[in-house]
Parts: sequence; structure tokens; C-alpha cells
Amino acid sequence: MSIRVLKAGLQTTLQGDPFRGHRHLGMPSAGAADALSLALANFLVGKSSGALAFEITLTDAIFEITEPCLIAVVGSAEFVRINGKGSPQHQTKAVVPGDSLHIGPSLAGCRTYLATSAEICAEKLLGGKSTYLVAGLGGFHGRALKDRDIIPFLRDFSADNIDLATPPALRPHYSHDHVLRVTPGPEGNGPTEELMRHFCHDSYTVGARASRMGMMLEGAPLGAGIFSNMPSAAVFPGTIQLPPSGKPYLLGPDAQTTGGYPRIAQVIRADRHLIGQLRPGSRVQFVQTTTARATEIYREKLSLLSSWLGQIDLW
Amino acid sequence: MPENAPLIHICDDWISITLSDRESVLAAQAAFAASGGWTEIVPGMDSIAVQFDPCMLSPDDAARLTRHQLKSATSVNPESTTMVTIPVCYEGDLAPDLAFVAEKIGIETDAFRDWHTSRPQQVAMLGFMPGFAYLESPDPSPAIGRLADPRQLVHAGSVGIIGRQSCIYSFDSPGGWPIIGRTPLLLFDPAQEQPALLSAGQSVRFETISRQTFDQWPRTTAK
Repeated sequence: MSIRVLKAGLQTTLQGDPFRGHRHLGMPSAGAADALSLALANFLVGKSSGALAFEITLTDAIFEITEPCLIAVVGSAEFVRINGKGSPQHQTKAVVPGDSLHIGPSLAGCRTYLATSAEICAEKLLGGKSTYLVAGLGGFHGRALKDRDIIPFLRDFSADNIDLATPPALRPHYSHDHVLRVTPGPEGNGPTEELMRHFCHDSYTVGARASRMGMMLEGAPLGAGIFSNMPSAAVFPGTIQLPPSGKPYLLGPDAQTTGGYPRIAQVIRADRHLIGQLRPGSRVQFVQTTTARATEIYREKLSLLSSWLGQIDLW
Repeated sequence: MPENAPLIHICDDWISITLSDRESVLAAQAAFAASGGWTEIVPGMDSIAVQFDPCMLSPDDAARLTRHQLKSATSVNPESTTMVTIPVCYEGDLAPDLAFVAEKIGIETDAFRDWHTSRPQQVAMLGFMPGFAYLESPDPSPAIGRLADPRQLVHAGSVGIIGRQSCIYSFDSPGGWPIIGRTPLLLFDPAQEQPALLSAGQSVRFETISRQTFDQWPRTTAK
């Protein structure tokens, strides 16, 4: 009971629900960078929205199926091929031993999720199974997958003959241009309203060293020199910090739990899954909203998704 | 709580609360943890943040709950927390910056371990990486800054010092703190119910161990 990795690509990790309630111990959230694409993939194979799946980054990846099971692929991959033959995303697919599953590179967007009906074998730590690379814990030996790894499956519950396709209206569009809504951070309000105006006026380009921890945003430097370092304080995925360079830094799912740079803005929860699709060179436009409106947007989004996915949660 | 009302700022699904001092942060942390309703409670140096589920609470309700719970915060008696003793070997390659730090302080290299172990320490917060502890000593200290060139690899267990603060690295990582020793203890074990060895507010005392004791220390499966 397993799946074999023939080509792991740039960074393929096992990711699902984030770790929760351990940030005071310095333990980041980790988990799927794009919670929505993960949920859509898992639903197609009959799994709960945050079940552990393969998160594939930028480049292509190839797997060999050694067990009959159902699979679904959702994300930014240009194509999916089974035994060389094109296979659409957003659909339940039955695969059999010997099948070769080729997930193409991302042309726009950054991450693709491969969900399997069989449960991936991973140790539960701190209430989760996701991979946290920095501390080498969770997932598959705490690391990104390598060529020739064999990922064991526990069992396959898919007795039911699931055959689903995501409704077209719910399929995310993966693009080079992103709009992320933000609310002002603790150091982004009051006397620095001017700063927020500049921040939401100019668009930014994601820097070359983007990772699951975060990414530098290249653009006109913002209020350089007006801030100095401050006593370390809590940060979260989606927090935008402003280092002295004036280049904003957007935190990702593996972001550390505290930081010493001013927190100028926070990407709203409804939009945070989009951070997982940002890649070096992506354009980002920030739009300011209020916390009250952010909550409405989040609830509306979940309500829309619940017609298909049932009760889910984004992070 | 002190009379001056804490500054509360709502950022989407979390709230940042600026407090006047460390005692207030620890008191707030205890109050939030006891009252519940939060998905994360994260202390900072002079602030604390709570995260909530926006499907359960509106931001305004969350802010109200925050203020209400802060009212019940009472200072945590430092004497009530257990003292944790951290064995540290201050020798050779385990302490690559000890000589330079001792010189900054103006003491002999051999006197450094006694200087460091005699200082009372309190865990200010955990952060940076799982189980990484920031410790603070009330005793004055000469200015010791970060390394000009951060190391590519600082080993897990390494003890660093910057001014009145000390830190303990929980995993191998790059790092910029001058390193004056290393503990054989495991700072973070995700398999444990209480995965972090230390927690904010705890009192800590460093204790010198020899290189032989360090080498023979029973290791659990770190990483």
C-alpha cells in the first residue's frame, strides 16, 4: 500500500490542516499553503478538507501508482497526464497499479495538490500531520520528498464509487496577478495612515527567494527609515512586516511565530489561501478593507463553498 | 491590571494587545488561557496576541471578550513557577564566542561560566522556532551585540547572549547570537504532551557541566 515518487520536483511535501494552538511555543502553523485548492482536491476523493495530501511546488512531479485508488489533482499545474494521456484536473480519477501520474509544471500560480482516497501514513504530532520543514517534523520524515521515495498508505476507505467534478464556478483561477485584501496591522494604523495609502496604491512583485516562510515584495520602497525595530511581537501567516529596507515582507504558512519588524498589514483570512499561489515574479495589488468587512467576506466565501464542500475552514 | 488601559488593535482574525510590562503579559496569557475562546494565544516581549475563528466571533465581540478577560488578569507570582535548571557546557568548540563575550564584559575567560550561572534568568517568551527560548536577566550587562556575520549553522542546544538576554537554540539553524555554551537537553520534542521544555514566565538557572558530562548525557531522539 503505497505510492512511489519517480520525480519529486522542486519541493513536494505532505501538507494538510495546519498545526493549531502551539504558536506560543514557537511552533508555526505549517499546513497547506493554499487551503482552498487542498479542500477541493480532498473533496473529490471523499476526504475531509484538511486531510493530508501532496503539495507540489512550481516544477513538475511524477508518481507511480502501486495500489488501486482514487486520485484528484487541483492547482496551478499546466497539465495532468496519466500514462502519457491528458487527464483533467478537478475530477475524481480511478488509477490502478503501474499507472504513471505526471503532474505538469505551473505556468501561472505556484502550487498543486494531489489528493488520494487512500490515507497517507504519517505520524500525528502536536495534533497534526503536516510537514514543517525548518524543524524537520511531520509529514514524511519531516522533509520534502525525493526521487524514489515510497510513501506508505494506511488504508483506502473509498468503498463508495465516488465520481465527482468541481463545479466550474468554484474552480480557482491561477494567474500572475493577484489582489489581496488587507486590514492595517498594529503598527500600520494611526499616524501611519499615509503609509497604508502608499502600500495599497503601488503594486508589488514577489521577490526571487519566495518560500513557505515568506516572501519579499519588490516595489517602490515604503516609508524607509520611519520605523525602527521593535520588541518581538506575534506575527501570523499573512502578516506583512516592514523591515528597515522599506521592502514589505509577506509571511507564509511556515512563518515564525514572533518578529521584530513593524506589522503594517494583515492579509484577510478569506484571501490567505491565495498566498500559496504567489511565486517569484507574481504581481500583487493590496486593497485595504475593514475588519468588519473582512469577517463578512470570510463568512460569505465559506457559505458559497459550503454548497459544494460542506462545512470547511480556511486558514 | 495596571490602571492605564491596554492598547488593543484588531487585525482581521487576531487582536494585538500592547501591555506595559512583562508581568502584565504573563498575567494576560494566564487569563486568556483560563477563559478560552482563542485558537492561539501568543505572548511577545511587551504585547500579546489572541487569534479567533471569525465564524464564531465578530471582531467587535472578540475585542469585547479581550477587554473583559483582561480585567480578570491577576499577576502571576514568579515564585509559584518551578525553577528549571539548564546544564551547560561552556567549553571549547561548544562555546565559540565565549572569549570575545568575556572580554566585552571585562572578565577573564575562566570566570565567565560563574558570571553566567550566577545570573537569575526568566523565560520572556518562546519564538523564532519551536521551543526557542528568549531569557532575560534583571542584572545589568554590558552591551553585547549580534555577530556581524551570522553563522550558517548553530547547533541545537547552543546558548547565546545579547546584552541582558540569553537564548537557547532548539534546532540546528543559522543564527546571529554570540554562542557561549551548549546544553545537552532537548528543548522541543513534538512527541511529548508538553513539547517545549520551557515556557514564558519560568525561572531558569544555568549550571556548569564538564565536556565529559555533556558528551555522556543520555540523548533522546532529537530531530
